[in-house]
Amino acid sequence: MTEQLFRERMNADIERRSYYGKFIFNSHFLIFLTIASGFFLYSLLSLIQTLEPSLWQDVAAALLVSITLIPAYRTLLKRADGVFLLPYEAKFSRYMTSADRYSLTLGLAKPILGGIVAVLLLTVGHGIMQILVFVAAGIIFYVMNYHIKKAAINSDVSNAAVIAMLMALNFISLLLILQHPLWIIPAAIGIYMLMGYMRKRRHSQLDWSTLIDYEEAQLNKYYQNVALFTNVSHIDKQFKRRRYLDPFLWKPKGDAFSKERMYEYLFYRTFARDHDLPMIILRLILLFGIVMVWIGNLYLSVIIVLFGIYIIVLQMSQIYTAQAYLLWPKVWPVDRSFIQRSYITYSHKLVFVIAVIFSLVFLGVHIQYFYLVLLFPLWGYIINRTLSRTVYKKEQELSD
Amino acid sequence: MVLQIDGLTGGYSKTPVIHDISFNIGHGEIVGLIGLNGAGKSTTIKHILGLLRPHSGEIKVGGMTASEDIESYRRQLAYIPETPILYEELTLKEHIQMTAMAYGIDESTAMARAERLLKVFRLETKVDMFPTHFSKGMKQKVMLICAFLSHPDLYIIDEPFLGLDPLGIESLIELMVEEKHNGRSILMSTHILATAERYCDRFAIIDEGRLIAIGSLEALRREFNMPGATLDEVYLKITGGGTQND
Repeated sequence: MTEQLFRERMNADIERRSYYGKFIFNSHFLIFLTIASGFFLYSLLSLIQTLEPSLWQDVAAALLVSITLIPAYRTLLKRADGVFLLPYEAKFSRYMTSADRYSLTLGLAKPILGGIVAVLLLTVGHGIMQILVFVAAGIIFYVMNYHIKKAAINSDVSNAAVIAMLMALNFISLLLILQHPLWIIPAAIGIYMLMGYMRKRRHSQLDWSTLIDYEEAQLNKYYQNVALFTNVSHIDKQFKRRRYLDPFLWKPKGDAFSKERMYEYLFYRTFARDHDLPMIILRLILLFGIVMVWIGNLYLSVIIVLFGIYIIVLQMSQIYTAQAYLLWPKVWPVDRSFIQRSYITYSHKLVFVIAVIFSLVFLGVHIQYFYLVLLFPLWGYIINRTLSRTVYKKEQELSD
Repeated sequence: MVLQIDGLTGGYSKTPVIHDISFNIGHGEIVGLIGLNGAGKSTTIKHILGLLRPHSGEIKVGGMTASEDIESYRRQLAYIPETPILYEELTLKEHIQMTAMAYGIDESTAMARAERLLKVFRLETKVDMFPTHFSKGMKQKVMLICAFLSHPDLYIIDEPFLGLDPLGIESLIELMVEEKHNGRSILMSTHILATAERYCDRFAIIDEGRLIAIGSLEALRREFNMPGATLDEVYLKITGGGTQND
C-alpha cells in the first residue's frame, strides 16, 4: 500500500516537473542555452587542446565532481502524513525504499554533467584506467553520500556540517585517486565507515516532523528555482529583516506620504527583505560576470547581459503579482491603478541599477566596445515594460 | 444610515449563498451578525466590502454604492478579518504607515493615534518588529490598531474576540464603545453571544443564507415569545437548537 502511495506522489511530482519544465525550457531559454553551451564546449575543447598536464587540472576536475555528488533526498512526505501515517510507520520501509530510488535518479543530471566536463579535462595527462577508477569512485561516493545524507537528516547531527564534510572528503579522495588509483581503497573504506557511524547516530524511528519540514523545504527550493523563469503561485515566500538595508529604503515625506506612493514604499521593502530575490540577482550577476570574463567573447557577453536582464525582470514581476492579489489592495480605499504605477516606478529604477551593474562588468571585459552598454538600460526598460504589461493584462483578465 | 442592505442575494459563484438579505445600521450603532458556521455571515461581509458582486440587491455605505465610487465607498469602511492578514515584509510601524497612506491620514496624525492604540494593546515596544513573528492574538491586535487609527464610519469586524487575551478583549470592547459614542458604527460577526449581548444594540441573525431575525434583544424576546431569555437561548431556538453545522 505504501509503495502505491509513493508511486502516486512520484507521478504527481513528475507531472509537476514536466508542467514547469515547459515554462523553464521555453524558446528564449533554449536559444540562450544552445548558444551558451556551444560557446562553453567550444572554449573547453580549445582549452583542452592547449592544456599541459598539471595538478591544477586534477584539482578542478575533483572539485567539480565533488560538488555535484550530493544527491537530492525527496521523500515526498506531506504535512498530514505526520498525523495520518504515524500508525503505519512499521510498514513504511517500502515507501522509503521507493523514495531512495526516486531521489537517486532525480539527482543524477548534475553528477553526469559535472562528470563529463571532468572526464574531458582529465583526458589530458591521464590514462583510461585512471579515468575509469575516477568515474567508479564518483559512482560509489554518490550512493554512499545519499545514505549518509539520509541518515543525517533523521538524526541530531547538523545536516549542513555533514554535507560540507562529504564535499571535502569526496574532493580529497578524488584528488588522491587521480594521483594514484589505489587510493580508491582507503577512500571507499573511509566513506563506508562514515556511513556506518551516521547510521548509528540516526534515530531508531522516523523523525516525522524533521522529514516533513525537510521535504517542504526541498519543494519550496524547487519552486524558487522554477520562479527564476516563471510565476509560481504557491511558493512559500519568506522574508528576512536586513536591518543594514533599512537606511537605504525610501520613506515618503510630506506630500509623498500618500496613497499614490504607498505601493512604491511597499515594493522597495518587499524586494529588500525578500528571503531570496536579492541574493538570486546577486548570484546571477556574479555567475554571468564570471562566464563573461572566462569566455571573453563579445557576442556571448552581449547575449549574457541581455538574457541576465531578461531573467531578472521576469523574477521581479512576481513581486507585483504577489502584492496585487493580496486582500488589502482590494479593501483599502486606493485605486488599483496606483499599484501598477508604483510598480512601474520601482521596477524601472531597479532594472536601471541592475543594467548599470551589468554594464560595469561588460566594460571590465570589453572596454573597447563601451558604446554597447547604452543598449543594456534600454533593453531593461523595454523588457520590463513588455513583461509588466503581460502581468497587468493577466490581472485584468482574472478580475473580469 | 451608515449601511443599507436591500434585498442582497449573492455568493462566490452563480449559485447564491445568501438570499434577499436586508438590514440597516445607523450612526453610533453596534450590530451583531450572528449565525452558525456556513450560515452566510462571511459572504455577507465580503459583499459589504465590495469583494463580491451581488447577484441582485443593493448595498450602500454612507448613501453610496461601491459601483458609484469605490474609493469613497471604501474610505468609510475598516475591516478586521477573522484571521490576521499581514504583510510579512513590513514592521508594525510600516503597517501603520501603509494604513495611514491608504486612508489619506498624514504621518504625524497617524502616529499620534497609533501611539495611544499601541499602549492600549501593549505593543508600544514592538513597533520595529515584523508582526508575522507575533502570536495570533498579537497579530489580531495589529489588525485592530490599523483599523481603529483610520476612524472610518463603519467597522466590519469578523470574530473580533478570537485569539485575544482577556485584557485584549476588554481593551477592544472599550474602544468599540468609545467609537460608538463618537457616532461610528460597528458590524461584528461573532459566536461569543454572552459578550455580544452586553454590547450590541441589535442582532442580525442569519441562517442558511437568509436573514431570519433582526432587532434588539428585547425585540427578539418579544418576537419569539421568550421573555427574560438570554441571546444564547433565543439564538438556539431560532436556529433549531444548533442541529445544523457545516
